[in-house]
Amino acid sequence: MTKYILQRILLMLMTLLIITCMCFILIRMLPLPELPIGDPRSVVIEKQREAFGYNKPYLVQFGIFLKNVFTKFNWGISDKLYFGQNVADIFVQKLPATIIVNLYSIILSIPLGIMLGIFAALKKNTWIDHTISTLTMVVISVPSFVYAFLIQYILCFKLGWFPLLMNSGTNYFSWDMFLSMVPAVLSLSFGVIAGFTRTTRAELTEVLTSEFMLLARTKGLTRRQATIRHALKNCMVVILPSIFGEFIGIMGGSLIIERIFSIPGVGALYLNSINAPDYNMFLLITVFYCVIGLLASIIVDISYGFIDPRIRMGSRK
Amino acid sequence: MKRIIKTLISVSLVVAMAITVVGCGKKTPDPLDGKDIVVYSGDYVYKDAVVQLSSNWNPHTYQTTDQSYPIDFITSGLYSFYYNDELHPIEGKKPYEGYVILPEMAASLPVDVTEQIKALDNNKYGIPEDITSGYAYTIDLNPDAVWENGTPITAETYVYSMKQLLDPKMNNYRASDYYQGTFTIANGAKYFFQGTTNCADTMGEIAFEDLVKGEDGNYYAKDGDPIYLAVDFALDWLQGDTLKTYVDYYGDASFSLKYWDELAAAADEDGLIPLNDDTYAKFSDVTTGNANWGETVADVCNYFVKKTVYEDNYSFDNVGIFASDTYQITLVFGKSLAGFNLLYNLSGNWIVYQPYYDELKTQIEGTDAWTTTYATSLKTTMSYGPYKMTAFQADKAMTFERNETWYGYKDGKHVFVDPEDPEHVYPMYQTTKIETQVVAEPADRKLMFLKGQLMGYGLQAEDFDEYRSSDYCYVTPSETIFFFIFNGYMDAIKNREANESFDQSKYDLETMTLTSFRKAVAVTYDKEALCSAVSPSRSGGYGLIGNSYLYDPETGSRYRDTEQAKKVLCDFYSVDVSKYDSLDDAVASITGYDPVVAKELYKQAFDEALAAGYITDNDKDGKCDQIISIEYASSAHSAFMEKTLNYLNEKMAEVLVGTPFEGKIQFAESAPLGDAWSDNIRNGLSDTVLGGWSGSALDPFSVTDCYANPSRQYDAKWFDSTKTQLTITIDGKELTTSLKNWSDALNGDTVTIDGKDYNFGDGMVDVNTRLDILAAIEGAVLQTYDYIPMLQDAGMSLLSQQVYYVIEDYNPVMGRGGITYLRYNYDEAAWAEYVASQEDGKLSY
Repeated sequence: MTKYILQRILLMLMTLLIITCMCFILIRMLPLPELPIGDPRSVVIEKQREAFGYNKPYLVQFGIFLKNVFTKFNWGISDKLYFGQNVADIFVQKLPATIIVNLYSIILSIPLGIMLGIFAALKKNTWIDHTISTLTMVVISVPSFVYAFLIQYILCFKLGWFPLLMNSGTNYFSWDMFLSMVPAVLSLSFGVIAGFTRTTRAELTEVLTSEFMLLARTKGLTRRQATIRHALKNCMVVILPSIFGEFIGIMGGSLIIERIFSIPGVGALYLNSINAPDYNMFLLITVFYCVIGLLASIIVDISYGFIDPRIRMGSRK
Repeated sequence: MKRIIKTLISVSLVVAMAITVVGCGKKTPDPLDGKDIVVYSGDYVYKDAVVQLSSNWNPHTYQTTDQSYPIDFITSGLYSFYYNDELHPIEGKKPYEGYVILPEMAASLPVDVTEQIKALDNNKYGIPEDITSGYAYTIDLNPDAVWENGTPITAETYVYSMKQLLDPKMNNYRASDYYQGTFTIANGAKYFFQGTTNCADTMGEIAFEDLVKGEDGNYYAKDGDPIYLAVDFALDWLQGDTLKTYVDYYGDASFSLKYWDELAAAADEDGLIPLNDDTYAKFSDVTTGNANWGETVADVCNYFVKKTVYEDNYSFDNVGIFASDTYQITLVFGKSLAGFNLLYNLSGNWIVYQPYYDELKTQIEGTDAWTTTYATSLKTTMSYGPYKMTAFQADKAMTFERNETWYGYKDGKHVFVDPEDPEHVYPMYQTTKIETQVVAEPADRKLMFLKGQLMGYGLQAEDFDEYRSSDYCYVTPSETIFFFIFNGYMDAIKNREANESFDQSKYDLETMTLTSFRKAVAVTYDKEALCSAVSPSRSGGYGLIGNSYLYDPETGSRYRDTEQAKKVLCDFYSVDVSKYDSLDDAVASITGYDPVVAKELYKQAFDEALAAGYITDNDKDGKCDQIISIEYASSAHSAFMEKTLNYLNEKMAEVLVGTPFEGKIQFAESAPLGDAWSDNIRNGLSDTVLGGWSGSALDPFSVTDCYANPSRQYDAKWFDSTKTQLTITIDGKELTTSLKNWSDALNGDTVTIDGKDYNFGDGMVDVNTRLDILAAIEGAVLQTYDYIPMLQDAGMSLLSQQVYYVIEDYNPVMGRGGITYLRYNYDEAAWAEYVASQEDGKLSY
């Protein structure tokens, strides 16, 4: 198992290197934003570009880039959005808000989604199942920013339960800050809840009709015991990977939600870095999302072995 | 020795000033007249929203208004503008009708010491010999001014800060504010550009006859700088292209190539060759040897480039700023500056906190360039204004609180009489805290405003019907006029028509270049109706220079109110003044909308386009076979854009009924072009846009540069302002020169007309002469019909019930008093109660 994990980590690092190299070269192949004539800052930017090897072959540029990242964690200087400032510093400032909002969303949506899915599966073909399934389809079909506007208008403006926007400051664990994050968390969660409800219901419905479930009941287990001990565990082989997949999905979805609720996070930064364009910032965030995706993938793969011992990690047979 | 001389002069200046002050001194009456200053209690929080938060408020590098936003709160200028009231009266003006300029970070008004400074070090600042005033001033500094941590701000702070500002290694964006233009510190450019060679396009301003031949056979400008010919050097009037680009593209179809290879080979790394008799003759042959290029020998001067070599290791001691005492600076200018303009330019400030600045500037690895993170975060900011920054979160929020070390809270001078309550004297800056946050969506801003969480809300198009008549609605005029720019760049149009995907049997682009067509478009739209339909806060625009421009800030006189400006409009809109009782009545009759005349003009345009072969009428039905497609350069698709284009097409269709173009003219939105929209317009790749220029509302004269300077003109590729001649009668004498020369002369440059030097800059001639020139230029540009004025810009916004303006009338200089004069109806606690007491907690406006 340890050997397998090490292999996967090495493979992940190699994949990350290849993706980073591809992104780096593709970004460097883009035409550089034209510098305003007569603006003395143009001289500074040109010299910065020179120092980062812009006039050299792409692989040499990539070498300079890797050296700066690994020796000084220097991802470059922002030449548009935050002129002259280190992009990594800005990125690190903005990371907590994104992570916290997404974490709250996951903490809320996964248990709720799984519970609703179980409930619907157990009440299959009853009005409860039909209601949950219909609502699930409606919620999945509507983009998250639509909920965002509805939540903002109804819960924040009409009912006044929450602030319209996320509070400023970095005291992320205060009650006021939590309250101000609730609308964004709800907006991000609806889709995820619906997704998990649907997946769990589908998997559980299938498992509940399996022969081993009949065996479990016949050997004297109650319906609840059989469901929890056998049915759910089998469902998790499908559900758990989607948890990590959803994490990435939520990070992507938060690009728009961050703008609507004025969350000073990485999502808005990503959009701005594309529009500016601020290539160093763009590359850093792209690599960040790659890392998240690869980590999620490796965790999913490793988790299979723990969930279902029949899946043997690294086995050649 | 230099230091001793400087010290002696400084001492003499101080003594001279002291004598002056003592001599002129008299006991001033108590301005408060026994009235007590009201003491505020409670919290007063100004809650603001911005679309984009500043990421840099360094006074040396900020660029945009977003970036300068914090500067207004955390800094103070040397002089400030205040309303005239009982405490600051102006003779002949009612309170709050005007303004006064008072010392702020300065202790008193500047003292002219030009004569004394001229005598310093053999006039090292280069003040002209015959000048006796307006070039050098001493300014006493306010000794109570300190940084927020209590560190005194002395003359050395100003000198250090200017040195950093002009430091060539720092490449500061704001440096040019101090080494060129109106406020030019003597020798500032020499310090900033030290050790470099600057190649400047002369824009045809220097004729061959004006040059001096050197001993080496090369030609030099009168100031001794060498002149070169631009072979492969980007020229403004070629919109950044080089002659070589054109020669490579057109070859012998447009140029004589006999000497071209020889000239191209001789060009240096800048693409220039020295100007001498031989190169002049050969170069002239290239550009004038083939008639297709359309130039004569007189045009060769358009390719002249002046090279200025700046001395290396230039000492800052030669730059026109020094500390003449602990609390006194001396400023020496490269150009004369006096009166209102001097004080206006000193209403800003350039100082930085030395310990932070020294610590935060860093050299960019592997280069000789430096950068700084000064004033980009809370930790790197040191305030010295009425407020200090107390919180900052990038792209989210910033907070300012009262800076208790600011002298203004204790000096008893920062007070005013509220016209609503003339019995009391109120301190300025009632606001105790300013909370600014990013709210990108207008819908969010509206909801927050209605919940009492914002102080203002700028109305969107969909809000006008509901709120335009509200008691809390304020219209704020803007100087910008939005005009249609019409494509006249025939080369680009022909290229587009030659494209395979362009079906010439169905569409046409050339007709829009006809003056008759543009005249027709100009009278097709009722401008006031257009505003009502798409942007009700704006009003109809009729000239190129907006209603807000003041030509005399001291009296508040507006350019648009002058006789000259009114006559321009009457001429352009063909209004017969003799038919009206007065010029004002004649101007009032202008609507710019005449569908009957428009129909006639469209008929005329049809005949001309047919004759020119732009369009066809194959079935001889008297109707155009093609659709005249006018591509509107859209920066981004928006509801406003859609509404505007729909309106334009709808009204155009109405007017075209019964004309040869019925159903045949359409505005089509381009793909979203972002910032590239202006390049598309300049290069003739898009055909029109509602564009405009904004500038200093106190200087209408500078606006001419936007229409007469090829590097700024939208229509430079099809309208040559350097060759378009304009005759204006000055002092009874008719003078003729190019439009660009008139514009330059109006803005302080000396130009030669009929062998005589003229300068019509501020203070050089009487203001009426300047107005005559300004009006003549405006008229000449309007007559090109490249620009068709449509909208006068203005903003409309709601003000929170929590606050009120002490004076509601908008003043171009003072606005409505800003944060300085803002008064509160409720403190925070009372406001929360008030909002909660409203139905659903929603305020009604």
